[in-house]
Amino acid sequence: MSERRLIFALALACIALAAASLLWDPDSLRDVADRDPILARAILIELRLPRTALALLIGGSLGLAGAAVQALLANPLASPDVLGPSGGAALGAVLAGYFLGGGTLAMTAGGVGGALLALALLVALAGPAASTATLILAGVAVSALAGAAVNLALSLAPSPYALYDVLFWLLGSLADRSLPQLAAAGPLIAAGAVTLIAQRRRLDALALGEEVAASLGVGVGRLRWRVVGATGVMVGAGVAVAGAIGFIGLIVPHLVRPLVGHRPGAALVPSTLAGAALLTAADLAVRVPVNGQEMKLGVLTALVGAPFFLALVLRQRGRP
Amino acid sequence: MRAALALLLALPPAGAVAVPPRVATLDLCADELALMLAAPGQLVSVSRLGADPRETTLAARARGLPVNRGRVTDVAALAPELVLAVGGDPAGRAAAARLGMRVLTLPWPATLAEVRANTRAAASAIGRAAAGEAAVAAMDAALGPPPATVRPALLVGGGGVTPAADGLAAAWLRRAGLAQQAVPKGQLALERLLASPPDVLVTSRYHAGETSRHQAWLAHPAFIRLPATVRRATTDGRPWTCMGPPLAAEVARLRRSVPPLLAGKGDASSGTGR
Repeated sequence: MSERRLIFALALACIALAAASLLWDPDSLRDVADRDPILARAILIELRLPRTALALLIGGSLGLAGAAVQALLANPLASPDVLGPSGGAALGAVLAGYFLGGGTLAMTAGGVGGALLALALLVALAGPAASTATLILAGVAVSALAGAAVNLALSLAPSPYALYDVLFWLLGSLADRSLPQLAAAGPLIAAGAVTLIAQRRRLDALALGEEVAASLGVGVGRLRWRVVGATGVMVGAGVAVAGAIGFIGLIVPHLVRPLVGHRPGAALVPSTLAGAALLTAADLAVRVPVNGQEMKLGVLTALVGAPFFLALVLRQRGRP
Repeated sequence: MRAALALLLALPPAGAVAVPPRVATLDLCADELALMLAAPGQLVSVSRLGADPRETTLAARARGLPVNRGRVTDVAALAPELVLAVGGDPAGRAAAARLGMRVLTLPWPATLAEVRANTRAAASAIGRAAAGEAAVAAMDAALGPPPATVRPALLVGGGGVTPAADGLAAAWLRRAGLAQQAVPKGQLALERLLASPPDVLVTSRYHAGETSRHQAWLAHPAFIRLPATVRRATTDGRPWTCMGPPLAAEVARLRRSVPPLLAGKGDASSGTGR
């Protein structure tokens, strides 16, 4: 399949899923519209629009960040959740919740700050010309550190209400999000995405090796910082709004790469669209009540993603 | 002066039987009972929540008391004769018993009758039976007779947490003329609130001045879009944590602020939820 046709097909899937997300449960929506059209409009604009848009944006950002990080490190196991920015963002947002209140802007700033700090720590730990093994090891260490700090914050929670609040937010969800939250996270994610997609040719060149890339005029150091910075901003903003949603960034590039001839740069845009479609689909699935309650989005993506991760490890085992 | 001293010295033997025991409480709900019932000077410690004006309406009465963090060892040095707890954990109870303190653990009340029973039990345990009777009488006086009709209503706190339709909170709400609607798992989704709004929406002001994710939920723009027919009311969230006798005054206030449906608009209890 050509890249263009793949992008077209994925965009169609995104549109269809977004429509399904907006018009979910049409019978009761029509019911409400018959009774009170203003109320039905409010449900669409104030509740479903931010939910759908955030699912597309955050899913897209996770797919794109995963593809970019895997391309940068030339390692199929790299992803925002493995390398630490997700954990750093969670910690930053929890700390922002404690010390700056849980306002949308404070949480977003905390999430972005935490993700960038985790990535800076990662790069510092692994050194400038780190082998991928070192980087991944450093990422695991940063993730563990952030996870421990979040657990510390949880165990020092001022009240059971605060504990419950943070715990459920950490499980990841897009329910009851608002337009102001979309307005806070949207521009950050969009800016990060534009930055990352602009690196596609450089990432393709990097796939030929650092020396070849340098001889083709690619500043590898600058490329690394751009990818790391844009990933931190996108992941931080997404985590601050929706909590920790894992595995999308890991799975999506693997699904996409075989379809674009394993060129990492060419995988960026399709990974974005596939991530958006996957998270929107997951957000539709969690709306089917399990035991009378909506399942948490992060729980579903982890339940689906973890077996995929295991399969990936099994496939890697046979290789040198 | 000498006479006063003589009187003071003479007092203890005279009242030896009736000297109320020194009491410490380890959790918010026991704090509230003790702060309501204890004689001046009888209470030696309350939990830190019981002295926090954001958590209980009775915090002013705990001024100057040492606060504890809910563990028996925190209060051992104050040598209380009785430790009062509601719910309570068995390990803590065993520790108190080992330290020679008498522990009274009251059950979580599930009905208004059990609220009264808990109040009386706490009062008699601390030697203040008369105060217990007075508190129960004050609670019933504030509540007044049960309302003839009730309106479908929803009490909701930050984050969309709602009490069950068949629990103690619903029993209190019923005395305010409000019938709490059932919400699956007690977690209200905004979409559900907009799709089938209740007659009366009561939101809790618990920790209202603070920014938190819970408060952000209550500030969601969707609330502004609720139809004008939904009657809005707010309630002081603090007494709803333990739902003991201090809640009676708040329920009475709610009852006054949300008038029953006028005659002619139909029997409210038959439901106007749609």
